[in-house]
Amino acid sequence: MTATMRYEYLMQVRRPTLWLVYLLVFAVTAATLPFWSLDLGGRDPGDPRSAMLSAADILIAVLPMVYGCMIADRPGRDRALGVDGVLSAIPAGRTGRLLGKYLGVCAATATPFLAIFLGRAAGYAVIEGEAAALGWSLVVFLSVIAPGLAFLGALAFAGPLLVPPLLFRVLFVAYWFWGNLIPVTMMPTLSHTVLSATGEYAARGWFEGGFGPRPEAALDVLRPEATPLSAALWVGVMIALAAAMLVLVRLHAIRSES
Amino acid sequence: MRIQTSKLTKVYRGKVRAIDGVDLDVPVGMYGLLGSNGAGKTTLMRILAGLLKPTSGRVVLGGHDITTPAGRVAVQRTLGYLPQDLGVYPDLTARRFLDYIALLKGLDARSARRRRIGELLEVVALGEHADRKLRGFSGGMLRRVGIAQALLADPRLLIVDEPTTGLDPEERIRFRTMLSQLAGDRTVLLSTHIVEDVAQTCRDLAVLAKGRLVFQGATGELVSQAAGRVWNLTTSGPAPAEGRIVAAVPEGAGTRYRLIAAAAPHPHAEPVSPTLEDGYLALMGVAPC
Repeated sequence: MTATMRYEYLMQVRRPTLWLVYLLVFAVTAATLPFWSLDLGGRDPGDPRSAMLSAADILIAVLPMVYGCMIADRPGRDRALGVDGVLSAIPAGRTGRLLGKYLGVCAATATPFLAIFLGRAAGYAVIEGEAAALGWSLVVFLSVIAPGLAFLGALAFAGPLLVPPLLFRVLFVAYWFWGNLIPVTMMPTLSHTVLSATGEYAARGWFEGGFGPRPEAALDVLRPEATPLSAALWVGVMIALAAAMLVLVRLHAIRSES
Repeated sequence: MRIQTSKLTKVYRGKVRAIDGVDLDVPVGMYGLLGSNGAGKTTLMRILAGLLKPTSGRVVLGGHDITTPAGRVAVQRTLGYLPQDLGVYPDLTARRFLDYIALLKGLDARSARRRRIGELLEVVALGEHADRKLRGFSGGMLRRVGIAQALLADPRLLIVDEPTTGLDPEERIRFRTMLSQLAGDRTVLLSTHIVEDVAQTCRDLAVLAKGRLVFQGATGELVSQAAGRVWNLTTSGPAPAEGRIVAAVPEGAGTRYRLIAAAAPHPHAEPVSPTLEDGYLALMGVAPC
């Protein structure tokens, strides 16, 4: 598993396309959202913790689409290249190889995301003289952003089993807007629920509060009050969904083997 | 490592019977598996390599039943496999590719791994190209990388599926010679539809046709299937109507035919010694189709 993880990480992180697409989308994000001021209203941009939560809010609105799309072609790569025959004849556990691939690819694809986020934290620390921003950026990335990415990565592993990677990317972007970004009153949506991957429950439940049910919206049973417990529940849901997706991928592989 | 299958059957979804009740016994050494395209060779190779589960029957390799998870792992520990459609990671160098596969095969000690990779790159005559990216390799060079990866863990069983298809004559001869040299005390199972490759490397072979085993034994026995049935006939007239034409070579004003027929197909036909290809064709002529 470690060898696969290391290989997959290096192969993905060295892709120029990965960095290029992230940079392009980031440029649009920085030009259209208050990424430099970190002033989203309702939070004090002078407070390093609030500033890092705002930076997370801004980046997670857009960059997960790049993340999911850039992962989509990796699960089928071994088969496309014809390497799967050799790999499958190796006694290393196939489940371990899947996990290694998943962890390596997801970590690599999240690397530009993390670099942008840490870059903003470093800039903030220098300009504002608040070194605490560096620590908060790590805390926020791990608690607010990473669980959602774990789920989205697994989704991007499972989706291309059902539809071609190109179509999956279109559907993934549509899912991202529908399930995570649109206002809850517009239509039934997973936005602002514990199934949304945007990390709101972690951000609000652990750091801010003031987030919860929207009785006027559909699916409101999925919007408990944001508390430390519901934040932990959200992390658990993301990990459980990721595990379920990976189990599906493995079952699909077993079925293909027969 | 001895390979034994008993009533081995593989039926794919859609009821395609790729392997049908195959009883095979492969001893140590170089062993050929002949058959036309679609005969079931690749399915059999994939079952023996633990990539496919048979629908029914037994497969025992070196005393391990490969249909059980423990047996599969035990066999794969001593297996080198070169699939028909070998692919590589084009952005890796030959050395890096082998390093990755070696890690997956459990060669964890770095210095021993590097030494082994260096040795194998020399064995397959790729030492000079070790640090070139695989995207620039020819088909023959890629097959040699494939053999190197198959040999990483010093396997007792080497399964090579159609390794010479698409290679130029020189590369083909070099490749099959290398396989013969590797056999030694290993079992090397060479699956191919090219009779010449088996003729030049194997003492024993099996023949598959439409998923069934139609022959297994020494190459000499297969040759003898055509004994007394191979004829040469030179004529300027029409092609002989009787017998199966194996070769036709223009010669002066006429054509020299090589035929397989139970009896002389023409008063001027001369009997000739059969080759393995003649034996194979004679067998396939009477095999159930």
